[in-house]
Amino acid sequence: MTGRPRQAALYLALAGAMLLAALAGLAVGPVRLTPVEVWNALGGRGEITAVAIMRDIRAPRVVLAALVGAALAMSGAALQGTMRNPLAEPYLLGVSGGAAVGAVLAVAGGAPFGLVPAGAFVGAVAAVMLVLAIARAGGRRPDPRVLLMAGVVVGAFANAVIMIALASAPADSVRNALWWMMGSVAGATWTQIGWFAAYGLVSASALLLFAPEIDVLALGDDAAAGLGVNVDRAGRRAYVIASLLAAATVAAAGLVGFVGLVVPHLVRTRAGNRHRAVIAAAGLAGATLVILADLVARTLRAPSELPLGAVTALGGVPFFLFQLRRFR
Amino acid sequence: MYHRSLGLGFGAGVALAALLVACADPRPRTPAAAETGAASAGGGLTIRDDFGDTLTVRASPRRIVSLNPATTELFFALGAGDRLVGRTHFDLYPPAAQTVEDLGSAIPPNVESVLGVRPDLVMLYASSSNRDAATRLHGAGVPTLTLRIDHIADFRRAVAILGRVIGDTARATVVADSVSRTLERVRVAMQGKPRITAFWKAWDSPVIAIGGGSFLSELVDIAGGKNVYGDDPRPAFDVTIEDVVRRNPDVVFAGPESGERMRSAPAWRALRAVREGRILIVDTMLVGRPGVRLGEAAVSLARLLHPGSLP
Repeated sequence: MTGRPRQAALYLALAGAMLLAALAGLAVGPVRLTPVEVWNALGGRGEITAVAIMRDIRAPRVVLAALVGAALAMSGAALQGTMRNPLAEPYLLGVSGGAAVGAVLAVAGGAPFGLVPAGAFVGAVAAVMLVLAIARAGGRRPDPRVLLMAGVVVGAFANAVIMIALASAPADSVRNALWWMMGSVAGATWTQIGWFAAYGLVSASALLLFAPEIDVLALGDDAAAGLGVNVDRAGRRAYVIASLLAAATVAAAGLVGFVGLVVPHLVRTRAGNRHRAVIAAAGLAGATLVILADLVARTLRAPSELPLGAVTALGGVPFFLFQLRRFR
Repeated sequence: MYHRSLGLGFGAGVALAALLVACADPRPRTPAAAETGAASAGGGLTIRDDFGDTLTVRASPRRIVSLNPATTELFFALGAGDRLVGRTHFDLYPPAAQTVEDLGSAIPPNVESVLGVRPDLVMLYASSSNRDAATRLHGAGVPTLTLRIDHIADFRRAVAILGRVIGDTARATVVADSVSRTLERVRVAMQGKPRITAFWKAWDSPVIAIGGGSFLSELVDIAGGKNVYGDDPRPAFDVTIEDVVRRNPDVVFAGPESGERMRSAPAWRALRAVREGRILIVDTMLVGRPGVRLGEAAVSLARLLHPGSLP
């Protein structure tokens, strides 16, 4: 099977997996509800507590987890293509460091906890822009390798700022900031989901729209220029859109590591080399992974939770290694 | 207002920090009660503390650094507040404590700042994060007494020890008895009342519950309630909102800001107590620490749980 039928089968399988994961996420929790109760409560029928559990606790978590996972994986897929580097991912390009600095400075500066996501977003955007500025300082055209190096350097700088802020902030602020950095969708609300979905939809559509440009960029700068693509502008555009998408995930759920790096590789072997397909498939797979990771995070150590970012890595890395063995 | 908001935040913060560190500590708690009590040759007092360290405190120390809000309160209650030369950033009660030099954080402390005020006794909370600081202070020749004050019984123990340290056991007995009498008065008054199940929310992000390992859980019991997380031996730990819903408490205890956030968060609507408006706002500065106001704290909780039942 090649071409379209094969891709359709892939999308169908990924969407089915995501749906199953979402159903599991909705059905499982500390309060035992039968499938019928779950269904009724989702529709707003039945006992008021069950309705609130489904509509205000479980459903927002599942939806936010799906959106965050999809956004991170799509961002990673686009960046790996644009940079022609399998290690490229939003966190490596300064997004996580900048977001963490923003969050930590917000709490250290005494901002109420509600403003931490805003601080994280501002920090992430600032880091993205800083990385771009550094990469462009060397010459007119931001070389992907320089961009990666700039990302690593900005990340190291961010680490220093975080350590200084944490060392001098009071214990409760530190706790808030650290908790933030470990990633969680425990606080998901529909308002937040609404904002994130609108933002994510625009960014994700843009990535899919510009995906053919990424295909050309992946051939190398000279080949791309030969094919009439403005390499500088196309590379910058993909980098900025993908990074801003990842920045929004940090504001919504803190740092959920590993998804942006590995999910694109998981799907690339099956989705082929076209970036539109890779990005779309990565989105579905990323959503599935983070929904399941959240389910594990909130049930494994009940009544407490595990950090979401740790669960994605714990579950994803063995799976990734297994795939490496199979497809080498 | 500056005062109030600052106090609430810091009070909750340090209590939380202490609780968290305590629950991260795998050591079995309530170790050998401190105090062997033998008078040493120089007229000092030999004490074994909650780290198991044996130290000799000179008779009636004059320059004390107290890095635990509970012991700072206690020194003032014992009439020895004027002997304090250092406190933590969070020791704001009684108001006179605020005139004592602020040495910053307590878990762990800044050893150099502590040495800088030339203390002849340092009081630390017995958290594993303070082990290194205690060793350094001992090494510098400063008697360092670590106490783990989590339960009401720990408070009684601490009063007795501090009474001997400052050389006024009579006053220590008066303070301990006064607290015990108030607690007993509340306990007796609430004995016949129906037990009201309660969830104590100590923090928002993540949601942190007070467990059976905290004096707050004991206070809830005394005040005619029952902590829904009282079966967990840890002092405090994070919980999912849905687990709280499963335990279905009659009421919620929360600080003013924390209670407000709870009212406005959609997810908390799943909790019956929140829907029915039974969030009881506690004075976090009063109930936040196991100190000389434990009795007062129990009274305030009893009045919240069973309005009109205490004069």
